[in-house]
Amino acid sequence: MNNNVVIHELENIVGEKYVSDEPEIQFLYHYDFITAEPEGKCDIAIMPETAEEVQAIVKVANKHKIPIVPWVSGINFGSIATPRKGGIVVDLRRMNRVLEVNEDDMYAVMEGGTTWADLKGYLDKHHPNFRAGVTFSPPGTGVVPSCLCYGMFDLGMIGGTGAEFLNGLEVVLGTGELIRAGSCSISKKWYGRQPLPDLAGLFIGWEGTTGVVTKAAVKLWPKLPYRADIMVLAPTVDQGVPLLLKLSKAGLGIVDIIFLNMGWCQAIQGFDEKSVAKDPVELGLPDFVGLVTTQAYTENQHKAQCNAINNICNEFNLSPQTAENFLKSFPEDMRGVFLDIFPGFGGYNPVQAWGCWNFTRGGGGEWIGSYCSTRDIAKYYNIAREITLKYDKPPQFYSRIMFGGHYCVARANINFDKNDPEDIKKTRTILKEIFDAVHKLDGVVMYKPPLWVVEHHKSKTLPATTELIKKIKKLLDPNNIMNPGQGIEGD
Amino acid sequence: MIDISNKREIKFLKEKGISRIMHVPDQQILDRHKGLEYYKDILYQCGKCGTCRTAYHEDGWPRICPSGEFGKFEAYYLGGKNLLTWGLKSDHLKWTENLAKIFYQCSVCLACTQQCQIPEIHHYAGEWLMAMREEAVKQGLGPMPEQKKYSEHVIKEFNPYMEIHKNRTNWISSNIKQAPDAKLVYFVGCTTSYREQNVAIATAEILNSLNVDFRILTDEHCCGSPIYMTGQTDKAKEIAEGNIELFRSQGIEKIITSCAGCYRMLKETYPKKFGLDHGIEVLHLPEFLQEKVNNNEIKFNNSLDMKITYHDPCHIGRHMGIYEPPREVLKNLPGIELVEMERNRQNAWCCGSGGGVRSAFKDLSSFAAHERIEEAKETGARALVSCCPFCLNQFKTNNKDEIQAIDLSELVRKAL
Repeated sequence: MNNNVVIHELENIVGEKYVSDEPEIQFLYHYDFITAEPEGKCDIAIMPETAEEVQAIVKVANKHKIPIVPWVSGINFGSIATPRKGGIVVDLRRMNRVLEVNEDDMYAVMEGGTTWADLKGYLDKHHPNFRAGVTFSPPGTGVVPSCLCYGMFDLGMIGGTGAEFLNGLEVVLGTGELIRAGSCSISKKWYGRQPLPDLAGLFIGWEGTTGVVTKAAVKLWPKLPYRADIMVLAPTVDQGVPLLLKLSKAGLGIVDIIFLNMGWCQAIQGFDEKSVAKDPVELGLPDFVGLVTTQAYTENQHKAQCNAINNICNEFNLSPQTAENFLKSFPEDMRGVFLDIFPGFGGYNPVQAWGCWNFTRGGGGEWIGSYCSTRDIAKYYNIAREITLKYDKPPQFYSRIMFGGHYCVARANINFDKNDPEDIKKTRTILKEIFDAVHKLDGVVMYKPPLWVVEHHKSKTLPATTELIKKIKKLLDPNNIMNPGQGIEGD
Repeated sequence: MIDISNKREIKFLKEKGISRIMHVPDQQILDRHKGLEYYKDILYQCGKCGTCRTAYHEDGWPRICPSGEFGKFEAYYLGGKNLLTWGLKSDHLKWTENLAKIFYQCSVCLACTQQCQIPEIHHYAGEWLMAMREEAVKQGLGPMPEQKKYSEHVIKEFNPYMEIHKNRTNWISSNIKQAPDAKLVYFVGCTTSYREQNVAIATAEILNSLNVDFRILTDEHCCGSPIYMTGQTDKAKEIAEGNIELFRSQGIEKIITSCAGCYRMLKETYPKKFGLDHGIEVLHLPEFLQEKVNNNEIKFNNSLDMKITYHDPCHIGRHMGIYEPPREVLKNLPGIELVEMERNRQNAWCCGSGGGVRSAFKDLSSFAAHERIEEAKETGARALVSCCPFCLNQFKTNNKDEIQAIDLSELVRKAL
């Protein structure tokens, strides 16, 4: 690739200030600086401001047959946007405006580069009676990619995955054409993907390999006046999960059900891994920390719901308490770390408690996170726990039950020291071993899969499905410039 | 060997439900003012999560980094700089003019560090941002040409404003009463002496009206901040040594400053960075005045009838932790209504003049100033008040008469 020629054409689109092939700029797009996945190579970084500029960039890329890798805001959380074949990283961070909020139909239309901070700040200021479902991701990460990659939000019980929060998309295809999917494609309203053919599915879960999403509409929800965040502790995950499964089917105004194991709780509190018990269960600490959030429109409804939740917990010989009461038992200066998680206390996610990624004080973290059947949560955990402890690492686990109990996420985390090649190697071994073991459970499908997982998916997929994926990819991206070497089709 | 702390200090902001992590268990207690080699293992803990871009403690979750918001590429934010520093130390990158320029295109306001949730980065990132500048100077890639020019003038004429040294005290009129043997010196500073003389006059008149025995050094030199902040540590230390020699020879025991930069240099950088423990008590004017207010030693006779907003200068705010004394003083002025900008105290938006930015990166400087002026206007205040003449001069220079820019000393004098 003749950088100079390409740079010149790109400068004509966005201006000199917003395109660069300087090594210092490239370096920060080579990989995600978090996971144990290998580095890639960014040749050119560019920051467009409009969908039209994105189109022009894609056309230049097609002309020179150069890969395009969309990023939002300089973050590639999970390595799926690492430029595996070089090329142009299109950083959408200048396209970060919330364009419209429709309070009647409860959605927000935003540009593709809008971060959680942008969205939350905008809603807090201008539409304080509404909220978005938010993730545990840092405030600098993107809303739209989170949705496109099936992110998990704290309204997951009523909304499902982040993809289900999407009402519509505007996308620049790999050909440079601009399309819209959903009601927005034939009207000014972005209330849903129904009843038209659901083209959004061509871009959800495809990890930027079929187009660059330049706009999206995301569902909002009203902030109801009554809310309780309830914590339930249990000695083991096996004892706690059945409770959550029953609650997930009970209605009761429940908007979010998650649990963490004690290992992850320790990480969130900012401890150094070396200074805490590898296996807190050995010390008799509860290993299951469940969080259930319920909301209501009236006080009577709220009381009735909380009572019902309490009664269900008692059926399992478990005693719930409100998060507020639970945290009063913490030293005052430690409450803040947990209370970040609870909107009920006036704050919200996203605030990445980065301590959970810095458990080994080496800034590295990767996970085997999957969607799976709710019946397999405890099994998934126990498999991951055994393998992690075998390698003398602390087990860290999180699960969220979603969409009325129809499915769930299960995720095992490993932290490591990015400066230590042996630790990186060990981490890769652990991740692979966990992956191989949990994928023996039918229905486990990893989200945001790195390349080696994509190959596994392909090997399990019906040949006709694989063919269809290839055909769609070819149609939308004939020159295979869109994030090549990643995503659903793999390398 | 690194000390480990068992201290836990996480301030939970009740109304916002957000925690500000100051210390967590097992946090490393590091020394400050060290070189890059010392901090290199901390750098890699950064995951470039982007939290450093956003003042998430405030409603509206506003952006907080002028360098980043102007430069836009990740390299201009703290996360980018952390990993570029790591890239350099781990031989992924080499020193280039561009790398140096990235690190100089920053006022080192440290708003970014306030947001970082990794305590070691929260506390010490400012150290390696400065260490990178020192390295750039050693590599011959710093300071920036414009900064080099004013630095040479500081050596020659003891000020960065291309002014003649002997004119430094021209602002002093016969109305200002000095006590020749006073142990308390009003250290005026270069910006106040040459560019914002109203501040100097106001400060001196305040001291006179409070019957404070003070004097102004007839041969006051630059404190060295413009040199130090651009990584020229050795030169800055020589200036400091000269100043301390002067203070000692004059028997100075106490210094009042009206410039935030001078305050920081004299109070913190001289003893802690340069190891020059002068033993002199240094107070910024608002601290001095707050003491007087608390002791009922000051009487305000005039009502100002004004709605104002206060801008926290970085060098007394985030760098030195002084947020409340100026506010307490302002609130005690009759007729003053103080309204806060959205980004205030630890999350104040930098005016864009410090760190050598104003001379070397005029577009960035102007961008930052305009952003702050707009924010001030949104409060409905009639005046934007600060207690740093550099901030003041910056606002005046970039202000199209949209809002009055005024120093705290000027308001206090009016109220007296």
